[in-house]
Amino acid sequence: MIIFMQLRVNVTEFCIDFNCMKIPSSLLGFFNEIGAASRFVSRYFQEVVQPRYEVKQFIKQCFLIGYRSLPLIGITGFIMGLVLTMQLRPTLIAYGVVSKLPVMVSLAIVREIGPVISALIFAGKISSSMGAELGSMKVTEQIDAMEVSGTNPFKYLVVTRVLAATLMLPVLSVLSDAIGLYGSYLGVNIRDHTSLSLYFFEVFNTLKFGDVLPAIIKTFFFGFAIGIIGCYKGYNSSKGTEGVGRAANSAVVISSLMVFIIDLITVQITDVLGLN
Amino acid sequence: MAVTDTYSPDDSTAENVVIRIAHLRKQFGTRVVLNDFNVDLHKGESLVVLGRSGSGKSVLIKCIIGLLKPDGGDIFVLGKNIADMEHAEMDQLRSRIGFLFQSNALYDSMTIRENLEFPMRHHLRNLSNSEVNDMVMKTLADVGLAHTVDMMPSELSGGMQKRVALARSLILHPEIMLYDEPTTGLDPVTGREISTLITEVQKKYSTSSIIISHDMHCVKMTGDKIAVLIEGKCYALGTYEELERSTDHNVKQFFE
Amino acid sequence: MAKETLNNIKLGIFISSGLLILIVSLYLVGRNQNFFGSNFYVRCRFSNINGLIAGNNVRFSGIQAGTVNQIQVIDDTTIEVTLLIDKKMKPYIHQNTYATIGNDGLMGNKVINLTPNMVPAPEIVDGGLLYNKKKPYTDEMMETLSNTNNNVEVLSRKLISTVEQINNSHALWSILNDTTIPKNLNVSLSNIKEATVRINDMSAVITDIAKDIRDGKGAAGSLVADEKVANDMKQAVAHINNAAQESEVMVARIDSIVKQVQQDINNGHGTAHALLKDTMLVSRLNNSMSNIEKGTAAFNKDMEALQHNFLTRGYFKKEAKKNKKAMKE
Ligand SMILES: Nc1ncnc2c1ncn2[C@@H]1O[C@H](COP(=O)(O)OP(=O)(O)O)[C@@H](O)[C@H]1O
Ligand SMILES: [Mg+2]
Repeated sequence: MIIFMQLRVNVTEFCIDFNCMKIPSSLLGFFNEIGAASRFVSRYFQEVVQPRYEVKQFIKQCFLIGYRSLPLIGITGFIMGLVLTMQLRPTLIAYGVVSKLPVMVSLAIVREIGPVISALIFAGKISSSMGAELGSMKVTEQIDAMEVSGTNPFKYLVVTRVLAATLMLPVLSVLSDAIGLYGSYLGVNIRDHTSLSLYFFEVFNTLKFGDVLPAIIKTFFFGFAIGIIGCYKGYNSSKGTEGVGRAANSAVVISSLMVFIIDLITVQITDVLGLN
Repeated sequence: MAVTDTYSPDDSTAENVVIRIAHLRKQFGTRVVLNDFNVDLHKGESLVVLGRSGSGKSVLIKCIIGLLKPDGGDIFVLGKNIADMEHAEMDQLRSRIGFLFQSNALYDSMTIRENLEFPMRHHLRNLSNSEVNDMVMKTLADVGLAHTVDMMPSELSGGMQKRVALARSLILHPEIMLYDEPTTGLDPVTGREISTLITEVQKKYSTSSIIISHDMHCVKMTGDKIAVLIEGKCYALGTYEELERSTDHNVKQFFE
Repeated sequence: MAKETLNNIKLGIFISSGLLILIVSLYLVGRNQNFFGSNFYVRCRFSNINGLIAGNNVRFSGIQAGTVNQIQVIDDTTIEVTLLIDKKMKPYIHQNTYATIGNDGLMGNKVINLTPNMVPAPEIVDGGLLYNKKKPYTDEMMETLSNTNNNVEVLSRKLISTVEQINNSHALWSILNDTTIPKNLNVSLSNIKEATVRINDMSAVITDIAKDIRDGKGAAGSLVADEKVANDMKQAVAHINNAAQESEVMVARIDSIVKQVQQDINNGHGTAHALLKDTMLVSRLNNSMSNIEKGTAAFNKDMEALQHNFLTRGYFKKEAKKNKKAMKE
């Protein structure tokens, strides 16, 4: 991170130095971006621990980011659970293991589909709105206005949003898992008959901590990545309406990609730790 | 007419100087925006900075309030060099300066009331709710918009937004006001209203101001003294009448 | 303000329901995985664990009972597996329950099967060791018991013959004019008599226990597994063994005294010579007698303990009843 910070500082000289060596400027731009983002992240960690804490604004953001996303993420989770169950059923019947349907679906939902689908929906909804909101605040000098009003805009706008996103996505993901499993239960009951208690008994009989805990832990990272990318893009958006649009758009693209990258890293870590 | 090329910063402690800008230099990358800019703002005075679009006027007042960091030179505000200030001290100083942004910078997710309360949440934290409410209503009344208190900024016209923004920058009763193009983007009638309002609040709140403008009507109404910013320097300094009579081509073009 | 309160309430409900679901599911998952709640450890040893890994299931008679917690190599032929078992299963797992490694499901997962032993035994303790072979403990114990019984029988016969010999040795009584000896001898004899009776009892009790174990009766199994009972029995046998050996020595000595005295008298040396030898021999005899006394006393104490041990008490009572009945008839 330090290296990137220096790189960012010296980027103009680098451009000059390397121009004769024909280093593509897009590559330098990429490193410049990573350096700036790293500085943004490290600033976040500095500011998140320092008082004063914008508690009220944080709670408001939790409401807007968490509660307001529930319908969308809940519906998606429900449909995913239902569809997955109905899609898996014929295959399991072919292999004569249709009784393992709750096992398969619960593993898929809890380990992967719940967290990742929630995160993607969250990225689409939250990251873009953060990018657009902070972007337009930047363009219309609202961020400067906060600064001169004695309020640290980074704390007030960025820290509260990123923290809220970090903490709310796990909650959303757990709820989405629960709704998804209920959808799956309904999916089972379209053709078969099983009681809710038996279904959930089978589900919890299957699940281990190694399934549940890494899945929940990774949602914190998803939430953090989505929040910080949305805020970074918005906070550093260039002037003009076009800049705001670009900030919102790239926030969604990068944070969605980031979700998959974090997912990949988590699966490697859990694999190494033998948690599967 | 006085061309300020023989500027001496020695009397920076002079009692009635509230802002002293000495040899200010600011550049973005290789583009030099301000270069050896010098000007003094005296107590109770309102100084208009005149300059073409993109000449660095906004950069100048953003340097004064600390939103931008100068690359050279010194800025003394109320007798202290802002470059030496700690964060808390800077905050304290900012509570004594009102800043009217060119784009108003009203928080569009908040009501008018919340917009006006915002500067108070940091600087006047231990006021009771009713005291806060009194201050909000009084300041809004001063700009003639008491009835809009529970509206959102987007529900107001451009002129009303400007007035709310003015109220917000006045709410802490600042000693210094910085106006960034207060009439730009408004129709001439509304622009004149705003100019009148500015002169009224100047008197009422007895502030020293720097007003950035190229609306000559506004300049004439509000400015005691005019500084012309050309190529990063304070090219000319004088009263409206003095500069109007100037034969300098660069100065003259503003008054045509 | 009211709107803000309402929003806070909504947010509160949202977060609480998420946390509640999380906590409940972690609890349910944990209950299944023995992560929370009450568990205890049991060890078992194998020479080959066939790819068993930590986290594999443990089944008791096919019921999910716990998980494999840890696998440790003790030495080149012994691998110790620590099992985490649900406390609820504790009353059903006995010290003689045996553990085997089997297969679980089609995927080739390993599982530890705990199979109850037909022979009753005390409940397993936390950290206790389970055997992986069928009934090794019972077999071992049966062997010990029958050995003990054989020993006891031999000893009892020896002691009885000693007592008879001493009683019947008229020559001994006639020459021993030392007053302390008859007294000591009397004490020893009564001790020995008591011991022989008890030895008979013990022999009968051991026979009874062995029979019960073979028939698979309740308390006998737990008795065999009880280390204290086994130790008491072993100790008792050791003590009586000492006493018996000492008494054999004593009988031999008395024999030699009697022979020598007779020889002296026959050779005309007179009683004075005999008396001289007497004092030397008497001290030796006294020594032997005190040894016998100690041995028999210790044996009697051991037997007393066994009679009062709640596991063996019943057997001794039964034996006493039988004896009474026999006396009457
Ligand atoms: N944050 C910034 N980064 C780079 N260049 C800037 C920045 N702010 C202002 N400038 C440049 O400085 C010059 C002066 O801008 P400004 O002070 O806003 O002009 P105006 O006099 O119209 O207010 C412009 O050319 C602008 O491109
Ligand atoms: Mg400007």
